[in-house]
Amino acid sequence: MSSVTLRNVVKRYGQLEVVHGINLEIDEGAFVVLLGPSGCGKTTTLRMVAGLESISDGQLEIASRVVNDVAPKDRQIAMVFQNYALYPHMTVRQNMEFALKPQKLADGEVDRRITEASRILGLEPLLARKPAQLSGGQRQRVAMARAMVRTPKVFLFDEPLSNLDAKLRTQVRLEIAKLHKRLGTTVLYVTHDQIEAMTLADKIVIMKDGHIEQVGSPEEVFASPKNLFVATFIGSPSMNLFQMTVEQAELGLLLTSQPFSVPVPSPLLSKLSPGRQVTLGVRPSDIRIAAKGEPGSFEARVDVVEYLGIEALLNLRIGSQEFIAQVAAAERPVPDQDVSVFFNPAGLHFFDSQSGQAL
Amino acid sequence: MNHTVSRDRRIALVFLLPAVVILFVTTIYPMLYALWLSFRSYDLSKPFIPRVFVGVANYVEVLSSQAFLHALLTTFKLMAMTLSVQVVLGVGIALLVTQKLPGMAVVRTLLLIPMMISPVIVGLVWLFLYFPELGYLNYFLSLVGIGPVAWITSTGWALTAIAIADIWQWTPFFMMGTAAALQSLSPEPYEAARIDGNSRFDVFRYITLPQLKPVIISLLFLRAIDAFKIYDIIFVLTKGGPADATEVISLYIYRQSFTFWRMGVGAAASFVSLIIITILITFFFKSLQRSQAALAR
Repeated sequence: MSSVTLRNVVKRYGQLEVVHGINLEIDEGAFVVLLGPSGCGKTTTLRMVAGLESISDGQLEIASRVVNDVAPKDRQIAMVFQNYALYPHMTVRQNMEFALKPQKLADGEVDRRITEASRILGLEPLLARKPAQLSGGQRQRVAMARAMVRTPKVFLFDEPLSNLDAKLRTQVRLEIAKLHKRLGTTVLYVTHDQIEAMTLADKIVIMKDGHIEQVGSPEEVFASPKNLFVATFIGSPSMNLFQMTVEQAELGLLLTSQPFSVPVPSPLLSKLSPGRQVTLGVRPSDIRIAAKGEPGSFEARVDVVEYLGIEALLNLRIGSQEFIAQVAAAERPVPDQDVSVFFNPAGLHFFDSQSGQAL
Repeated sequence: MNHTVSRDRRIALVFLLPAVVILFVTTIYPMLYALWLSFRSYDLSKPFIPRVFVGVANYVEVLSSQAFLHALLTTFKLMAMTLSVQVVLGVGIALLVTQKLPGMAVVRTLLLIPMMISPVIVGLVWLFLYFPELGYLNYFLSLVGIGPVAWITSTGWALTAIAIADIWQWTPFFMMGTAAALQSLSPEPYEAARIDGNSRFDVFRYITLPQLKPVIISLLFLRAIDAFKIYDIIFVLTKGGPADATEVISLYIYRQSFTFWRMGVGAAASFVSLIIITILITFFFKSLQRSQAALAR
């Protein structure tokens, strides 16, 4: 097992800089997920750790050793690729054997490792098959087994589930979680799927445009997003945003957006002055249907109701402002009805409208 | 309704007719005529003597003739020499020109030039190079103290000389096909092998080559058919000589038909070589299917 450290790591292609000096500490045995939209630099970062891309600037350490100029094979890493990268003309067993060939192990040891990996990943009946005879999920398990037999210090996963259908994805996701629990090896995992990130990660690194936006546990990034990007990227359906203006009222400062307003919470009083533009964020799950006239509730119009079984998504409107609430399916109103809604005060997030940073 | 269908069919037939006529006149009729001729005695120098039916006598003569068997052997020798070198060189050059280096696109295009030249011209170019006293090849060899080599005038060298010219012309064909196949291979298995630390030789031997195999067999298949019919280069360079050192099947047929005027024997030899080439094709197809099945399964 091993830790990975990135210090001011930069990637440039000619004049174009795509990863801008990122810093990241990955503890030994941790499961860290790089999460972000397409083109955010997450895969490039992973490939730099793998040694498949050179590092333009900065320093990369694996197990406290600087590996910038160390060949991929000498970094004690193993990588699982998005499209499995299996050797198409080799059987499952040969795929694993070929990965072990450079290590020049004794035949007995090769057999032992292949048997062990196949047992853990349930590949025993498939060892004599070729990749074309396997399902997507099986292929991904073979790719994992091939990485596993090398007993690397760090596992790198590059969007390993994105070629699988939804059901298989859940299944293989669980297998990856189990595998990590069992082996305890450090994992760096790239995905654009927040559910994968939330379910698998000890630590999520959210990236955008080659920068790290926030690093934190799944709970931290969900409950305390540092900026508007993280707030809207994490959570599904995504956070509702309301453009508000700070106004001086009789009882203190209010955040107003016609036709509703919320009082400025006391920790923010010193930071805000009248006239300041603030973005209020509320997750759909922090909005509930209130009794008519309940203090702090607003009237909203129900546009569309999306029934999802246990819960329902309400597409609501106050004036021209549209937003979504997530309520228990049993409590769902009918469309074109006026309802009272209540924003959970503990679930309100405040962002500076200009910088997008959390207040 | 019926009326429209038959009308459509008639229009379709009208459109098909020119192609059918051309095919019949240029391919089917000559082939049937040759088949008819192969069972007859026909001396082209005495065209007015009736063509007598001789049964399978022409075939017996061809198959028992030393000259035909020699020509067949020479054809296969030449095929083995050219195809083996072309595959190795073609794959090797393809591996080089698919490297991501500046100028490779230009190099690739330049390397295709020999393939685009007509074989007769290739023959003439090499005739100049091979020319015993004035040829460039012997001149350059003399600079390093070798030679002179009687490239096309000695029985020992003539077939090799023809093979060299053919290799020069057709190696680009293997290069182009293999390069295209190399570029269509998915890069990820190579990255996986890089991370695992497999040597370059192992990567080529165990990853690249098995994936190229169906393409290489297809290319061999196409070239083998062509090589079996080789004619122009040899006609220009040696006309089958010296002695009969470079007489391949097609030259044997030519000689029987248009030097000795024995059209019946020439036609029979054509059909024998057609049967051989058909067997060859079947063999290649089988092995192609096997190698493709091995990849898919």
